[in-house]
Amino acid sequence: MKNNIRVERAIKNITQADLAEAVSVSRQTINTIESNKYVPSTVLALKIARVFGKPLEEVFILEEGD
Amino acid sequence: MKTHFLFPYWCRYLGWALILLHVPISMFGLAHGMVNIMDNGPTSTGLFTGVHLFFICTSLVMVSGLFLVAFAKEKVEDEQIWHLRLDSLRWAIYINYLILIISLVFIEDVGHMLELNLWVPLLFFIIRFRWVIFRLNSSFSKEEGHEK
Repeated sequence: MKNNIRVERAIKNITQADLAEAVSVSRQTINTIESNKYVPSTVLALKIARVFGKPLEEVFILEEGD
Repeated sequence: MKTHFLFPYWCRYLGWALILLHVPISMFGLAHGMVNIMDNGPTSTGLFTGVHLFFICTSLVMVSGLFLVAFAKEKVEDEQIWHLRLDSLRWAIYINYLILIISLVFIEDVGHMLELNLWVPLLFFIIRFRWVIFRLNSSFSKEEGHEK
């Protein structure tokens, strides 16, 4: 699964730390999600999408083979 | 994230203190000849004799310490930490049973096997868990360094 968190953060002009605080996780977790090392739970993915005010599918995208 | 069945963060320090405390108690026992665990195993003596009480003191203190260290919350206990925790626990169980099966085949001394079984899963869990957290943090600080 890919994601556009880095792009969305840039649009909204917030740091990893801001996003981490908004969804109550550590900065490391946001970092690993951004670099596709960790797949978040549905709850966390929905929370992140809500921060950006976008539907889930615009932030997280399924890849071939998922 | 709601976390159940984990001790507060400060319990980690209490756990390390208990593990450290176990060392002088063991030394004391060794000096006074109370340790025959190495010779006969803990189950070979009667209940609440000196040796048995000493065994309870040392093993209980050490295992409680390991237990507290293993299951104390991290500073930020989020779902990724939870995931790493479960993964480490799975590996600890694998290793424990591997050692148990090997020792069942090759070792006749059941007392020692029980003793081993007491701390191997916890110790391996702690080592594996700390190692993955260390790797997570070091890759994070490396990437942060790149961004700067």
